[in-house]
Amino acid sequence: MSEPGPKQDFRYPLHWRLMDGVERLADIVWPRSMARHTGWLFIAPALLLVGLLVLGLVQIADSSLRVLDTATFLPSEDWSLTNYEKALGTKVYLTVAWRSVSAAALTTVLTLILAFAYAYALVRVRKAWIRKALLITLFLPFFIGQVVRAYGWLIILGNSGMVNEALGLIGVAPMRLLFNYGAVIFGLVQYMLPFAVLLLVPALTAIPEETETAAGSLGASWPRIFWHVLLPMAKPGLIGAGLVVFTLTLTDFAVPAMLGGGSQDFIANAIYDQFFRTADQGLGAALALMLVAAGSILVGLVFMVFGAGTLAMGGRK
Amino acid sequence: MTNMLYRPNRRALLRGTAAAGAAALMGTLPGRLMAQDAPAKPAEIIVRAWGGSWVEALKKGVSDPFTAATGIQVRHDLTEDNEIQPKVWAAVAQGRVPPIHINWDTTTNATKSALRGVTEDLSDLSNLAGTTDLAKPVGLDGYPIVNTYGYVYVLAYRPEAFPDGAPTSWKAMLDPKFRGRIALYNDGIGFHFPAQVAGGGKLEDIPANMQAAWDFIAQVKEQQPLLGEDPDFTAWFQNGEIDLACTISTNAREAKKNGVDLAWTVPEEGAKFDTDGLWIPKGLPENELYWAKEYINFAISKDAQQVWCDGLGLPGVVPGLTPPADLVDDPSYPDTPEEMSHLIRISTKVQVENESEWFGKFKEIMQG
Repeated sequence: MSEPGPKQDFRYPLHWRLMDGVERLADIVWPRSMARHTGWLFIAPALLLVGLLVLGLVQIADSSLRVLDTATFLPSEDWSLTNYEKALGTKVYLTVAWRSVSAAALTTVLTLILAFAYAYALVRVRKAWIRKALLITLFLPFFIGQVVRAYGWLIILGNSGMVNEALGLIGVAPMRLLFNYGAVIFGLVQYMLPFAVLLLVPALTAIPEETETAAGSLGASWPRIFWHVLLPMAKPGLIGAGLVVFTLTLTDFAVPAMLGGGSQDFIANAIYDQFFRTADQGLGAALALMLVAAGSILVGLVFMVFGAGTLAMGGRK
Repeated sequence: MTNMLYRPNRRALLRGTAAAGAAALMGTLPGRLMAQDAPAKPAEIIVRAWGGSWVEALKKGVSDPFTAATGIQVRHDLTEDNEIQPKVWAAVAQGRVPPIHINWDTTTNATKSALRGVTEDLSDLSNLAGTTDLAKPVGLDGYPIVNTYGYVYVLAYRPEAFPDGAPTSWKAMLDPKFRGRIALYNDGIGFHFPAQVAGGGKLEDIPANMQAAWDFIAQVKEQQPLLGEDPDFTAWFQNGEIDLACTISTNAREAKKNGVDLAWTVPEEGAKFDTDGLWIPKGLPENELYWAKEYINFAISKDAQQVWCDGLGLPGVVPGLTPPADLVDDPSYPDTPEEMSHLIRISTKVQVENESEWFGKFKEIMQG
C-alpha cells in the first residue's frame, strides 16, 4: 500500500491565512530574535504607568520643599524643609496621623475577623443557592460605591433614621449614632469587607476540607482545628487581605469626611484641606509624601515579619 | 398670602425673566457691545458657580438674560471654588487656556488669585461707575475682582428649640441642652470673628491676639459640634440633627423655603459680613475675554443685580435695589448704615494673610 499523497484539491483555510499574515506582521514588528524580551514587552504598559506615578511623586516632592508666600500665593524659589517641620511640629497633623494609623489597624482586625467567618462559610457551604445568596449580599453594596454607601448610612443611622425609629418603637429615645469615631470605623469595616473576603476565599479554598476532617478524627475540637490547622494554613490570605485593608483604610477620605461629622479627620482629609482649602500645596505635598512613606514602611515591616501572603504570588516573601 | 396669588410656572417665569433681562441688557450694554467691530462671539462661556439656589439665582438674573441678548450660551461649572482654584492656577502657570471663563468666588479666595497674578483687570467695565464701594476689592490695585454682593454668617436656629424667642448671643451654643446639636463650617469660617467678641476679646486685636476666639471655640468644642459644608447644614436641620448653626443666610433662607422650620438672627456680638465676586483668569483668547468681561459688566447692572440678589436674598453692589419682601428689615440683609454697624467686617488682606493659620488653629481645637 502506498502512502496517501496530499490532496491536490486541499484549500488552505482562510483563518490559517489570516494567522500566517498576523505571524508575518508580528515578525516585522517584533522579530523572533527579540523573543527573550517578550516578557518585558507585555509588562511595558504597566511600567509606563508606574513611571508616570513616580514622575508625579517627584513633582510632589519638589512642591513639598517649597514654602507658600502668602503675599503672592506663589511657592518659594528655594527649597527648604519648612513644610516637613510644620507637619511634624503641629499637633493637629500628629493627631490625625495617629487617628489614621490606629483606625486602619482597628479596621483591619475587625474586618479580618468578619471576613474570615464570611469567606469560610462561602467556601464550605454545600448548597449552591446559599453560596450565591452570600455572594450577592457581599457584592451588591460593593457595586454601589463608597460615597453612596456612606450616604446610605447617614440615612439609616441618622437621628430620624431607620435604626432610631426602630428603637423608638420600644421606647428608646433617639440617640446620636453618627458623626463619631465608632461610626467611621463601622463605615470602614463595611466598606472593606468585600475586599477582604475576595482575598481570603482563594486561601481558604486551597485548604482541603479533608484536612479538617483528619484533625477532627484525631480528636481535635473545632476551636483547636481552627487555631492549629485553619489559621496557619490561611495565613497567606490573612496577610494579603490585611495589607490591602490596612493601606486602603489608612488613605481613606470619604468615610471619615461623611460619617465623622468633621471632627474625625484622617490624614487624607488634612491633605485635601491644604491643597484645596488653604491653597498651601507645599504643605499638602509634604503631608502626602509622609503618608506614602508611613504606609510603605508599615507594609514593608509586615513583609519582613510575616511575608507578603497571597500578594507574594507563590514567592517565599 | 403669596400662595393665594397667581404664580406662573417655572418655565414661563424663566422665559419672562430672560426676555425682560434681555431687554434690560440691551439697555445697559455699552455701544461697543452692539458695535459692528465687537469680537467674534464664542459659542459658550463657562462660569464656575455654586449649586442649588445659588446657581439658580445666577441663571435667572444674569446668565439667561445674557444668552437672550447675545446668543452666547452660558455653561455653569459647579466645581467647588476651592477645587477649581488649583486647576486655574496650574493652567495659567503652564500657559494653557483656563478651564473656565469666569470664576464666581469668595472675595478672600479671589484675592489669593489676584495676588498670584492670574486675574485679568476689570477696571474698564462701564457699569462699575454705577456701583457702591462694596464692589471694589480692598487693598488691591484696580479691579482684578468685582465684588457683586455682601452676605452674613448668621446664627440659624430651630424656633422649636427656642420657645422664649430668638437666641441673643453666640453663647447660646454653650447651653448644655444643645450638646451635639450645633454646627459650624468645618474650617470655622464665619465663626472666628464673633467668637473673638463672645470670648471677651476685641475685634481690633485681630489678627495679633485672637486667644479669646480660640478659648471660646474650645468651649464650643466641648459641646461636640458637627462640622460641615453648606449642603450639610440643610440636611442636618431637615433631619433634626441640630438646633443651631453658624451659616450663610442664603442657605438658611433656602432651607426655610424648602419647608424646614428655621429662623436666623444676628446676635449681640455681631456676625461676619463678607463679599463674593466675579473674576476672569488670564490666558483666554481675546474674543472670549471680551465677552467674559461683558458678562460681568451685565452682572453689575441694576436689572441683573435686582433679580440675581433677590434670588440669593443678599444686598447687591448697586444703589436702590429693592429687598425681597421676606427680608425687609432683616439683619441678614443689611442695607442701612445702622444695620451694617451690627456686623463684623475684617479686611480681605488680613483674612488672606491669616486664613490658613486660623483654619489650622480651628482644626487643631476641633480634631483634638
